[in-house]
Amino acid sequence: IVIMKLLVGIKRVVDYSVKIRISIDKKSVDLNNVKMSINPFCEIALEEAVRLKEKSIAKEVIALSIGPKACQETLRSALPIGADRAIHIETNLRTDQELQPLAVAKLFKLIALREQVDAVLLGKQAIDGDSCQTGPMTAALLGWPQCTYAASIDLSNKSVALIDRETDNGTERLSVPLPAVITADLRLNEPRYATLPNIMKAKKKPLEIIPIESLKEIDVQPHNTVIRAEDPPSRKAGSLVNSVDELIDKLKNEAKVI
Amino acid sequence: ILNMLFKTINYSKLFNYTKYNLSTKTKKQKIDFFNPTNDHLALREMIKNFVKNEVDKQALEYNKNEVFNINLFRKLGEFGLLGITADTEYGGSGADAVSAVIVHEELSSSDPAFCLSYLAHSMLFVNNLAQNGNHEQKLKYLPSTCSGEKIGGMCMSEPGAGTDVLGMSTSAKLSEDKKHYILNGSKMWITNGTLDGKTTGDVYLVYAKTGSGRGAGDLTSFIVEKDMPGFSLGQKIENKCGMRASMTAELVFTDVKVPIENVVGTVGGATLCMMRNLEIERIVLAAMSLGIAKRCIEVMNNYSIERKAFGKSIGDFGQIQKAIAESYAEFMAARSYVYNIAQNLELDSYGNGLDADGVKLFAATMGKRVADRAIQVLGGYGYVGEYQVERLWRDSKLLEIGGGTNEAHHKNMVRDLRKFHKEIL
Repeated sequence: IVIMKLLVGIKRVVDYSVKIRISIDKKSVDLNNVKMSINPFCEIALEEAVRLKEKSIAKEVIALSIGPKACQETLRSALPIGADRAIHIETNLRTDQELQPLAVAKLFKLIALREQVDAVLLGKQAIDGDSCQTGPMTAALLGWPQCTYAASIDLSNKSVALIDRETDNGTERLSVPLPAVITADLRLNEPRYATLPNIMKAKKKPLEIIPIESLKEIDVQPHNTVIRAEDPPSRKAGSLVNSVDELIDKLKNEAKVI
Repeated sequence: ILNMLFKTINYSKLFNYTKYNLSTKTKKQKIDFFNPTNDHLALREMIKNFVKNEVDKQALEYNKNEVFNINLFRKLGEFGLLGITADTEYGGSGADAVSAVIVHEELSSSDPAFCLSYLAHSMLFVNNLAQNGNHEQKLKYLPSTCSGEKIGGMCMSEPGAGTDVLGMSTSAKLSEDKKHYILNGSKMWITNGTLDGKTTGDVYLVYAKTGSGRGAGDLTSFIVEKDMPGFSLGQKIENKCGMRASMTAELVFTDVKVPIENVVGTVGGATLCMMRNLEIERIVLAAMSLGIAKRCIEVMNNYSIERKAFGKSIGDFGQIQKAIAESYAEFMAARSYVYNIAQNLELDSYGNGLDADGVKLFAATMGKRVADRAIQVLGGYGYVGEYQVERLWRDSKLLEIGGGTNEAHHKNMVRDLRKFHKEIL
């Protein structure tokens, strides 16, 4: 019998299909009236956690989100997937810029220890910040092993995870003793759709709200400031070259890429 | 003494003045009329994702081949949508009318034909039986239809009688041993009448005449199953203008023995069954037109930005602006009407026919108009399948005919206005 508890990170980000615009003050992405959704990699992490629960390996799945009040909507869409309860740490720091990976990692450490979880499942990165840092930082702060870019997780031996990890050269298989931090890559699974009965049952699941001010011992202030945000330069027209030598010359002297 | 009584009553608590009133100074929660609760919002999000990932990509192909996408349909069963309004006790989800409207609007924005099959099954069969059937019938037929294992519809119209419902001629005669009704006749325009093109679908609610007159008390509703001897597929209706991925059929009844346990409601009591289901049927049909219009507006709006002519986006020209703006306003007007009526619809009551007819009458024509404008805005590309709008235009026309013709709504609405609504509240 296993009393395995899993903590899953849920980040509220700009929906992947949105064409983003830079804000007028050129210091951030314009989030006004923009569709927000759950980060796709967080969705994959949540799906994996729910599957582990369905295989009777995990007993409880806790979803944690940090950010403004609207995060509760995102958590409410995580509960029908199969999380048992949700925790919202409420802060008005911008989650795409001001709330940075180190602060998030500290908060995950706090909740992971408070709930005495056996594993923290996160997405490999968020599609707004793309830092890829929260997972490794959380593991380091906790002093736990980490495995990033998980493509498959085998937890049938409940104290050691066998994980296929994606690298640029192929997949490596790691054996990771629990408790550990695991981050999900794209191929880990295909997330399910919430069913209507589960959507209706989800509102009975507890959602705990923790205002960030009550966690005075944790410093969540940003250490970096974004000084400018701008669109990538618009693509210029290409030019036809007449020979390989001319191509090499242009690549070397004009584009300066070789 | 009276004075003392009045003093002890706290007026603000009595009339809830502090909670919500018409003063702008009272801080009000923002109302999302089209997603009244978080659950509705979550439901809509889920369907939108499903549509984006699975429905959009198959719509054109299934339309071209006039084939029903049965595997995709069964997925709706996994989501709990096929029995969306049926009681959870029988395998349904127990959701309300607004939920049904949301599902229809979103599915129809992508593939109205697929949505029509969904409507015929979940509303015309499942909801009708859930509201009108007895416990044994619900226990026997609802679990498999809510899961999608069995797929069905409803048979009312005939080759010779559509709007003139009481003019139907399919007869049901009590057998000698009084254990069966013998059904004879044929039914026409049955959505989900066939699933494979060769045999009937799994189960139907069939309206037949048990009486000899033309009165409301002469019709009875029966449950008829596939493979009941004498029940067969007359023909699959081919070459429809639109709704092509939804199989429409003529079904034939030749001395079909239907056990008396399969009478839904009472003998001669079909009108009640009909009336109870009418309102939700018409509202979800109207919701289908909303979906069509919504997608058409999105497509023409995007196209008007990208397409350039005479040195600027065509959206900078007045005629295009008129098409888009008027479409949006008409769509929002219809949407507000539909969701307004859906909010207060009690699925087991009847009597709200006036607005059920009204929303369908208005939304159906609106949908067709918006689709037509969309083709015009897209010009040559609008004429081509890949750009969606021509399929939505062909699909949109059906809503002015199926589930009640415009003319039927005219007739019903004036009848109701004369009887009950001489003064409009």
